Amino acid sequence: MEIQQFKQVQTNSMIRFLLIFLVIIHYSAHASSSYEQTDFVEKYIAKTYFEKYDSFVDSQFSFFIENEIPLGMSEMPRDNSNVMSILHRNIIGEGSHRRLSSSMRLKTQSELTEQSCEIIIIERLPNGVFADPFELQHLVHRGVFNDVAVFGDTNLELPSFRSNQSVVEIHMIYEDDSEINLDVPLHARYPPLGHGFSLVEFGQPDLFLCCCGLGGNSVNRSCLLMQTSEDKASSPVIWEIPCGIKEHAQVVSAVSFGFAVVAALLIVLASISYSDSTGFDKSKHS
Amino acid sequence: MEAMTQGGALVRVLLILYGEWQDAHLEVRYTDVDYFVFSDAAALMASGRSPYQRSTYRYSPLIAFLLTPNSFLHPSWGKFLFSASDLLVGFLIHKILKLRGVPEKLCTYSTMVWLFNPFTFTIGTRGNCEPIVCSMILWILVCLMNGTTSTPAAFWYGLVVHLRIYPIVYAFPIILLLDPLYFQPGKKPILSEWSSRTSVSSQNSSNTKTTKSKYIWNSLTSMITWRRVKFGIISGSTFFILTGLCFYFYGWNFLHEALLYHLTRTDPRHNFSIYFYHIYLNYEQDFSIVEKLIAFLPQFIVQLVLIFRFAFDLPFCFFLQTLAFVAFNKVITAQYFVWFFCLLPLILPWSNMKLKWKGLACISLWIGAQIHWLMWGYLLEFRGKNVFFQLWLASLLFLAANSFVVINVICNHKFSRVFCGEFSSRTVNIFFLDK
Repeated sequence: MEIQQFKQVQTNSMIRFLLIFLVIIHYSAHASSSYEQTDFVEKYIAKTYFEKYDSFVDSQFSFFIENEIPLGMSEMPRDNSNVMSILHRNIIGEGSHRRLSSSMRLKTQSELTEQSCEIIIIERLPNGVFADPFELQHLVHRGVFNDVAVFGDTNLELPSFRSNQSVVEIHMIYEDDSEINLDVPLHARYPPLGHGFSLVEFGQPDLFLCCCGLGGNSVNRSCLLMQTSEDKASSPVIWEIPCGIKEHAQVVSAVSFGFAVVAALLIVLASISYSDSTGFDKSKHS
Repeated sequence: MEAMTQGGALVRVLLILYGEWQDAHLEVRYTDVDYFVFSDAAALMASGRSPYQRSTYRYSPLIAFLLTPNSFLHPSWGKFLFSASDLLVGFLIHKILKLRGVPEKLCTYSTMVWLFNPFTFTIGTRGNCEPIVCSMILWILVCLMNGTTSTPAAFWYGLVVHLRIYPIVYAFPIILLLDPLYFQPGKKPILSEWSSRTSVSSQNSSNTKTTKSKYIWNSLTSMITWRRVKFGIISGSTFFILTGLCFYFYGWNFLHEALLYHLTRTDPRHNFSIYFYHIYLNYEQDFSIVEKLIAFLPQFIVQLVLIFRFAFDLPFCFFLQTLAFVAFNKVITAQYFVWFFCLLPLILPWSNMKLKWKGLACISLWIGAQIHWLMWGYLLEFRGKNVFFQLWLASLLFLAANSFVVINVICNHKFSRVFCGEFSSRTVNIFFLDK
C-alpha cells in the first residue's frame, strides 16, 4: 500500500514537473520580444564602427572617428578652442583585476550652458585585457557612469593569443567646468608564453563632447571629437601581466601525467587490496 | 532533527542577510559571481530572450527559469531557493541513514556534518546552484532504496544529468545495483540494516570452479535485465527530451554553452586541477587525440575500479567516484567540492576512522593543501606575481591530498551492501576473480 502510494506520488510529481516545464519554457521562448527593440540606435559611436567593419583595427578606427562621423551626429567646428586636458592617467591595483583611472578637464570657449552635454570616452583596450560588460552595467545602475557599452571581442575567458581587441565606450554627464574622473575596471587575459611578464600598454582615450539642443532632442545631437593635451609629461600606462614560461612545458606535461598515473594506481591498488572484511575485523578488534 | 533543521535554516537566513549587507558596503562581494550570471540570464528569460545572451551562462535554461522570480519578486529569491535545497539535502541525508537503520544519534551527527559545514552553507547562501543538484542525487538514492520500480529514480537521474553532466558517472553503478536478486517483481527490495554490517568476503570467493571465460560470459548475458533496460530507456528519454526541448527553443547556443562546453572544457586559467598549467603552456597548439586520451586514462581507470569494487554499497561508491572524479578532472573549482560533501555524511556511520587522529589528519591535510594552493593563487591573481610553477606544484600536492583521503576512506570503510538478498557476486568477481 505504502509502496503504491509512493509510486503514485512519484509519477504525479513527474508529470506535473514536465507539464510546468513545457508550459513555462514555451511561454518564455515566445513571450513578447519588445525588450529586443530597446537597443540603442546610433547612440554609441563605437557601435557604428563595428556595424561597418568586422574587427577592430587601430588605424582603421582612428580614420573612422576622424573622417567618418557616424550617422545622426553632425559635426561641430573643430578648432583649438575646445581641448580636453588629461590631468592624470594610470593603472590602479595589483594582480589580474585593476582599474584604469583617468582624470581630465574640458577647456572650452563654446557656450554650453543652454545645452545638456555628455562626455564620451572611448578606451581602445589592448589585446591583453578586457572589460566585463556586465560589471560595467552594474556601475551604470549605481550611477557611476551615465551609460556604457563594450564592443569587439567580449569573450571574457579566452587567453590573449586567441582573442581580439575590444573597445569600451563610456558616457558621462558633463557638468560645467568640472573635473572628470573615471575608473574603468579591467581584467587581464592570460598572455602568450614568455619569460616572466607580458607588458600591456594603454594609449590615450578618444574623447567626444556630445550636446543636445534644449529639451534633450537627440535628433539635434551634435558631437565633437576633442583634441587632447597632457598637462605633464607623463609616462605611458603599462600593465605587467605574469605569463607562463615556455621552458616549463616539457617538465610540467610529463610530471602532470606521471603524477596522475601514480595517484590513480595507488587508488586502484587500495581498492583491489581492500578486503570486505577489513573494516569488519577492525571493528571487532576495536 | 527539527531543532537542527531550524538551526540550519536560521544560520542560512542570517548569512543571506549578511551577504546583502556585505555586497552593499564592502569592496569584496559575498555573492558568488555565478549568481549574477544566473540572475542576468533569468532576467533575460523573463523578458522573453534567450538566457544564453548572457555570456558565461553555461547551465540548462531550467536553472535560469527557476530564478526568474529574482527579477520580479526579490533579487535574493535564488539564494533562498538554493539554501532551501541545501536544507532539503540535510533532510534527505537523515532519511537515507534512517532507511539504512542507522541509530538516531549517529544520524543526527552525520546530518550535522552537512548542515553545519561552513563550506556547504556558504555555497548555497552565496548563490550557487549546486545544492539543487545534490538534493536530486540524494533523492535518486531514496527512490532506489524505496521503490519496487526504478521509474522515479530513472526520471530524476535523466533530469539531473541534463542539469549537470557529471552524474553520468553514476550510471554504471546504478545499473549494477539493479540486480534481479535484490529487485524481485512487485516486491520492495530489502535494505541491509546498519547493525548487520558484516563481511561478504566468503560470498566473493564462491564459484571458484567455474572457468574465467565462461564466468564472464554468464555475467554479461545475465547483466541485461528488463529493470536495467527500463532504467536506461526512461533516464535516457528524460535526458534527451529535456535536452531536445531546450535545443528546440534555444538552438545551438544552448547545446554549446550548457553541454558541449562542459564536455570539451579545457581551461587554461588557474584552477585546482593539476592539468591547468599544462593546458596553458600548450594552448597555442591543439591537443592531439592521443594526448586527450592519456589525460583521460587515470580518471577512467579509477572510475572503473571503484565502480566494480564498490557499486553494491552505492552511497559509498558515489562518494568515492565523485571525490576521485573531481580530483582527476581537467578543471576543478571550489564549487565542485559540494558534490562529494553531500555524500560524506552517508558513509560516516560505516567508517572506522576515528576523528583522533586519522580523521583529523585527513581533514587537515585536505584543507591544508587547499589553503596552500589558495595562497599561491592569491599571489598570482591578486598580487600579480609570476608563481605559475609554484601554483602547479600546489595542485600536485592537492591531488596527493585527495588521493590520500580516498585511500584512507577506503581502508577504514566497512563494506555494507545497500540491499540484502543472495549476493550476486558475479559482477564483482569479473574484476577480482583471482583474489
